Amino acid sequence: MNAPVQTAEARELALAGMGASRLRKEDARFIQGKGNYVDDIKMPGMLHMDIVRSPIAHGRILKINKEAALAIPGVHAVLTAEDLKPLKLHWMPTLAGDVAAVLADGKVHFQMQEVAIVIADDRYIAADAVEAVEIEYEELPVVLDPYAALQPGAPVIREDLAGKTEGAHGKREHHNHIFTWDAGDKAAADAAFDKAEVTVSQHMYYPRVHPCPLETCGCVASFDPVRGDLTTYITSQAPHVVRTVVSMLSGIPESKVRIVSPDIGGGFGNKVGIYPGYVCAIVASIVLGRPVKWVEDRIENISSTAFARDYHMDGELAATADGKITGLRVNVVADHGAFDACADPTKFPAGMFHIVSGSYDIPAAHASVKGVYTNKAPGGVSYRCSFRVTEAVYLIERMVDVLAQKLNMDKAEIRAKNFIKKEQFPYRSAFGFDFDSGDYQTALDKVLDAVDYKGLRAEQAAKRADPNSPTLMGIGLVTFTEVVGAGPSKICDILGVGMFDSCEIRIHPTGSAIARMGTITQGQGHQTTYAQIIATELGIPSEVIQVEEGDTSTAPYGLGTYGSRSTPVAGAAIALAARKIHAKARKIAAHMLEVNENDLDWEVDRFKVKGDDSKYKTMADVAWQAYHQPPEGMEPGLEAVHYYDPPNFTFPFGIYLCVVDIDRATGETKVRRFYALDDCGTRINPMIIEGQIHGGLTEGFAVAMGQQMPFDAQGNLLGNTLMDYFLPTFVETPHWETDHTVTPSPHHPLGAKGVAESPHVGSIPTFTSAVVDAFSHLGVTHLDMPHNAFRTWKALREHGAAL
Amino acid sequence: MEVKLDKQYPLDVDAARAWALLTDLKAVAGCMPGAEITEQISETSYKGGVKVKVGPAVAQFGGTVDVIEAVADERKMVLRGKGADKGGSSASMDLTAIITADPTNPAHCVLNGQAAVIVNGKFAQFGGRMMVQVSDMLLAQFVENFRQTALTLPVLAGSAQAGAAASVSSAASTSSTAAAPAPAIAPVVAREINGLAIFWALLKSWVGSLFGKRA
Repeated sequence: MNAPVQTAEARELALAGMGASRLRKEDARFIQGKGNYVDDIKMPGMLHMDIVRSPIAHGRILKINKEAALAIPGVHAVLTAEDLKPLKLHWMPTLAGDVAAVLADGKVHFQMQEVAIVIADDRYIAADAVEAVEIEYEELPVVLDPYAALQPGAPVIREDLAGKTEGAHGKREHHNHIFTWDAGDKAAADAAFDKAEVTVSQHMYYPRVHPCPLETCGCVASFDPVRGDLTTYITSQAPHVVRTVVSMLSGIPESKVRIVSPDIGGGFGNKVGIYPGYVCAIVASIVLGRPVKWVEDRIENISSTAFARDYHMDGELAATADGKITGLRVNVVADHGAFDACADPTKFPAGMFHIVSGSYDIPAAHASVKGVYTNKAPGGVSYRCSFRVTEAVYLIERMVDVLAQKLNMDKAEIRAKNFIKKEQFPYRSAFGFDFDSGDYQTALDKVLDAVDYKGLRAEQAAKRADPNSPTLMGIGLVTFTEVVGAGPSKICDILGVGMFDSCEIRIHPTGSAIARMGTITQGQGHQTTYAQIIATELGIPSEVIQVEEGDTSTAPYGLGTYGSRSTPVAGAAIALAARKIHAKARKIAAHMLEVNENDLDWEVDRFKVKGDDSKYKTMADVAWQAYHQPPEGMEPGLEAVHYYDPPNFTFPFGIYLCVVDIDRATGETKVRRFYALDDCGTRINPMIIEGQIHGGLTEGFAVAMGQQMPFDAQGNLLGNTLMDYFLPTFVETPHWETDHTVTPSPHHPLGAKGVAESPHVGSIPTFTSAVVDAFSHLGVTHLDMPHNAFRTWKALREHGAAL
Repeated sequence: MEVKLDKQYPLDVDAARAWALLTDLKAVAGCMPGAEITEQISETSYKGGVKVKVGPAVAQFGGTVDVIEAVADERKMVLRGKGADKGGSSASMDLTAIITADPTNPAHCVLNGQAAVIVNGKFAQFGGRMMVQVSDMLLAQFVENFRQTALTLPVLAGSAQAGAAASVSSAASTSSTAAAPAPAIAPVVAREINGLAIFWALLKSWVGSLFGKRA
């Protein structure tokens, strides 16, 4: 019954477990065009929905005339807020404790807001009917600037909140004010500034951008009027949360609601929220008793679903004359659009923005974030980052550069001087985060050596000395720390549900396995990497481990995939579920080998009797026994479920360096070199990590160099097509060099920290740092993104550097 | 999206006839490519529409035009137009048009137009970057139609001799002296904007601008 003898190393290799660069299991179906996305789903009798949207940014609805639309053959229904009112579904709660209009209730608050829906036999008829719905508006003054929105006489955006002085996060000071959130110790920070030898301050704007996943949002809702149950296929990063919300809104018991996230074509935070389109499709299906499909187009996606960032930030640093930072103060005005629909843990209206002290040992710090309503689309999601961490990292990394410039210090030197030292971990920051582990100096040295930093600085000095140099050379450096893996349920919840995650593993009698998860992959490769964790934990080849996610009727409850939480939270759940199985397997193996459990050693895929290599049972042997003849008194079967509530966040970090050459005649910026060192703790699949880093760097490049959502004075969004909105392809994307160090997380069962978002968070300030560095000898301390050729050319002209 | 226009168009029409045409809103609308006045609501208020056709896409704006001010002494007309189409766009325009006589040639005048055009919705989003050029083209077509129509009007007493003007106008074959009085002014123009012609003109001006020529 025993296979030919193989060395432990050979057997371990055959498992393709943790540390193996196993090819992605998902790709076979994707490269053959056999993925199964929401828009691929077709159901018998399915109808199609399209949405009538507001052409103006702010106005009153005077009249809606549906007649012409209803007269079109093939149109089944046209619904407005009036039709949803009896169901109390014309407004819905948001994840941030506000309410949002499902369909505009008498007033439109932003351009492209949902006003009415049309249900028709096919997509084309629906689109024609949308144009036939006649709506008269009375235009109202538009407020787009959050500072202007807070002026005493500013137009009232949210009339529905009239007289409401208490919001979900404390007192509202003004009719367009949502919340003010403070973190840190203001008195201590102020004291540090009073005593400071040097202070610097800088205003910066982090533009409104959009995650713009390749697949737009959509759903197919199917209510069965006979069985009374509702199945909805949906583009969601958090299907279980959607099920809970749908049940709460519709009154259908959660047991009769099935939410399925099939293949998802990228999320990046855009698919966390619950959008009016989903609600309307579900209502339409319930009303009509037929399946209803809604899939938005690209313009609708960029215009109306969740944006990211839009933070107007003021940073200040206090320091000693030799560059030791003693205090940090941050003030942010956050443009949240017309409804507060940020996706953050309930208690954190500005997410984890208080990671803003960065990788530095700053004794006193204070941050204040003010959320404001404007006539723009709602959102404020984490675009490939943990909640608002991108904004925080951008601010602190820019400020450290500004301080270095003021003190005439090198930006690597000032960082080294202020790092939290290796021996200080676990480290409690001034904002109260407990940093788990880190070794910043080793990583920084590795990067500076790899790129010959001194040589680069010498080259830059030579170029600056040459008045005829056709380019300005800039070197950007960022040494960032992220906070991911939300989160401990004592402080983190979404709509009251703790932010744990879950895993269920079943070992089949013949030794293969299935694992079901509360998360959902959107390109991260969960089906590949999760299997590798189980392979290593249980000695089963990853090839025979099936991973399923996204179907709420089969998967255990979980909070989903965003904020780099899959590996830190669900990855831990896998390890601990596997360890429960392992413990039971050991008992069975001891029974089979007729020895005491303590006389067994575990080796790769088998339990061995201590001192006798010939006596062993593999996990496959144990599985058969578990179903065939378990020890007396033991429950048959070999499976386990684990819900993992993380004791802390994880704190991955990275050191990024970028060299740019700016054409003095055209303003075009060429990224000559980008070196990214990431430390995400234990590495599960190095190939997937590298792919994630390439993707994150490319999206970071997109944000820093071109992405923006410009509005004109009337609130028209002027960048909602891919003709205007920058989505880099292979043509524009620079070459990436990657590197790593490994500093495991001490509190995570695998030591893993999560990685997919670090490259996005870390790269954006690196590009800005490089572009500003090119101008720094001209006294420039900051340039706002995006660093496109036109804006950079204007800066060249302004500072007399243009050719 | 707001576009401000300030244009002067020299016309080979005397000021009196140009003003006569300008005060006939129905006829003026007829000079605007694709535009039409369908109903008079009050002394100074009209209902109308504009149909714009670019390739296969047709946008039909319906709305109102109000005469805010008409000062005969200054030959000055102030109009406000507002409209929306069913495809999710809306537009408004404040227009001040003044006819000034050409001091050197009494048979000629200058049409001065100042307009602030605000466009919302799809037109602003897609057409934003072309707004100025498209507006220029539309106005150029309008002015040509205006000129041709004005030339068909009878020369009014006190105005300069029309002979020189008539000779340059290709539309002058319909005898100007025998033309009907003002209310019956018939625009001698196509009813729709010629999208292809606009596109061609835009392309020409764009190519021209690449080589430093001012369009």
